[in-house]
Amino acid sequence: MRLRTLAVVAVLATAGCQAPEPEPDRIACGSGPVTGQGSSAQTNAVNAWIKAYQIACPDATVEYASTGSGAGVRAFLAGTGDFAGTDTPLSPADQQKADTRCGSGPAVHLPLVTGPIALAYNIAGVDGLRLTAETIAAVLDGTITVWNDPAIVADNPGTALPATKIRVVHRSDGSGTTANVLAYLAAAAPSVWTHGTGGTWPLSGGEGQRGSHRVVAAIARTDGAIGYVESSYARVNDLPGVRVGTADGRFTDPTDHAAGLTVEAARTTGTGGDLRLTIDHAGASGGAYPIVSVTYEVVCRGPASGVARSFLAYAASEAGQQAAAGAGFAPLPAALREQVAAGVAALG
Amino acid sequence: MAYRGGVPVNILRNETPARLRLWSLVCAVAATVLAAGLTVSAAGVRDQVEVIGTEAAPQAATAADLYFALSDLDAQVTRILVAGDSDELAGSRADALGAYRDRGRQVDGDLRLLLNSTAEPAVVLRIMDGLAVYRQRVGQALTAPADRGHWTQATNLLHLRILPAAAELRTGSTERLNAAYRAKETYETAGLAVALLLGGALLGLLIQLQVWMARRFRRSTNPALIAATVLSAALLAVSVTVLQLQSRQLDGGRDDGLTPYLALSELRALGYDAAADTGRYLVSDRLSYYRDDFTGKAADLTAAGDGLDRLAGPEAAERWAGYQRVHLKILNLADAGRTEEAARLLTGIRRGDAAFDFAWFDASVAETAAERKTAFDRALRAADTTLTGATVLPGVLLAVVVALLPLGVRRRLAEYR
Repeated sequence: MRLRTLAVVAVLATAGCQAPEPEPDRIACGSGPVTGQGSSAQTNAVNAWIKAYQIACPDATVEYASTGSGAGVRAFLAGTGDFAGTDTPLSPADQQKADTRCGSGPAVHLPLVTGPIALAYNIAGVDGLRLTAETIAAVLDGTITVWNDPAIVADNPGTALPATKIRVVHRSDGSGTTANVLAYLAAAAPSVWTHGTGGTWPLSGGEGQRGSHRVVAAIARTDGAIGYVESSYARVNDLPGVRVGTADGRFTDPTDHAAGLTVEAARTTGTGGDLRLTIDHAGASGGAYPIVSVTYEVVCRGPASGVARSFLAYAASEAGQQAAAGAGFAPLPAALREQVAAGVAALG
Repeated sequence: MAYRGGVPVNILRNETPARLRLWSLVCAVAATVLAAGLTVSAAGVRDQVEVIGTEAAPQAATAADLYFALSDLDAQVTRILVAGDSDELAGSRADALGAYRDRGRQVDGDLRLLLNSTAEPAVVLRIMDGLAVYRQRVGQALTAPADRGHWTQATNLLHLRILPAAAELRTGSTERLNAAYRAKETYETAGLAVALLLGGALLGLLIQLQVWMARRFRRSTNPALIAATVLSAALLAVSVTVLQLQSRQLDGGRDDGLTPYLALSELRALGYDAAADTGRYLVSDRLSYYRDDFTGKAADLTAAGDGLDRLAGPEAAERWAGYQRVHLKILNLADAGRTEEAARLLTGIRRGDAAFDFAWFDASVAETAAERKTAFDRALRAADTTLTGATVLPGVLLAVVVALLPLGVRRRLAEYR
């Protein structure tokens, strides 16, 4: 009898010995409205956060107006919204105005959305195209005009390149993407790229298109085309991206991981929780991809509402960054993500 | 000549060892047959549990996932067309393009799994052929969005040929799952019958042997035979418990986990397809077919008995009602010629906008579906754990029982040498 009892108990006990299910990460919800406006480059990432956050937090409402970085910052300086999304850090003058707007605490930058910018191309018979920074600059400024130019051949030994005319497609509207590409060219190929930096394409040649969706569509329909777009646009349209030459002589694909290495190596120049990044475009090495975009949320430290802090904390969390990755962006490197999370925690 | 009980003592002296040997032999044979019966039935149950866990249930889940992914594939095409060339909806278009690409991969992955399984290969190949044409038509529709003929052909192909074939796979895989459960139940019944009949017989023989020996040799206890009896009884109790426990675990996993999970997957697919009808109404320039199609699908979603309310709970049903309200608003805006406003409401993610309200509804169904799936996986693991050693234990314990028999009768037999 005793044996039987023991056997039954043993069977029942082992049957109940299951590993516990891992608990999913919970969002620390706030309640009330949050509003933001600015960069259109980060719209899909912010939308993914808004959907997930509002689903998890029934008492919160988040709205983001995709007005572009400039308009978003201007609205923020005028007192609109809890945060502004911008592809470039605030100028010293705007920083001063933002601090004034915030009152009790300064305005700080939180880099929350990053990603590679791809040089997408459409060339007959060519895949895995490799270009050094100098060649890229010469292609984009029109110095090199055909795909079998000796400089391109030298970058791609053993590859048969066609004599197709190069057709450069660029943004015709002011954009953070253009600003990031020009910053890269000026830093990595200063001897070739002498056309300056800024958010507007400085040259008259090539085909200008308004918005990344039109740039990528123009590349897709044009034989011999090359242009710059956020990598996710190239990916969803199945366009290859140039493998870009870096300081150590390697050529790197525009992957999220490679972009993450560049962002990871960036220097933080802000103080007191202000996380402005200085990207070293020219010095990228070790598999890092040098042409990246970083979008910041500019937010007031001190008067930031609880729900705004909660929303930004979710965006900076691992789950939030995975949601951004699902929307086509590169997740923040772990160390930077933790810095941003600490920055958000210090807002209130 | 001396007599005992009317029988000559010398006859008794010859008969007793023969009876002891015969009784021991019968017990040993009963124990061996019982061991074989329990081992075969436990192995049969275990095999069927493995079939359920590694073939039938994953195949049913893959077929359900295929149907869902196909439904959403076409929904994403509608999103791409609704966004069109609009600057305002450029992000939505890129997002839909990415989702279309991901769903395409999901479909391909599911088809590859099904092709390597016991699912009907002819139906899988039919779906693959249909998809090749579908993708070609979608490509044409996206290249020339003003020409709606390609889009109509694509969405017709998906709804009239590809999805019905996927439903066929889903039905087939569910039938295979039920067949595996039935086969397992057959082994269970056989195992229980063996345990109760042969096990009962073995226990009876062992007890009878001990009673006879106690009377014949005037000894009240026989430790070896008592141990054999206890071991046999324990084995019977464990065997019956294991068979019934794993049955309860797997039946519970199916009834509370897998079946509702598959039904919820079907409802999710229907929900995605219905929500795409809102967009199709705009893309088709207000074709009433899509208004009616939505109404029909909504009726299926809210049906009493196997609708959202019962399967996903009142919260999910309430969220679907919210989506229906915004669907009607969009249709009314489109009917009033306010197409851009309708498109904004369709793609917006504020509370009360269609894209958010649908995500809000879907999250609720997806959460319940994930819970159901987890419940089934847990039940399957529990049943697997319950069956640990079930094919070895009867053989080992009954070998000990058989070994104890000669120990129990050895000394008594020695008295007759």
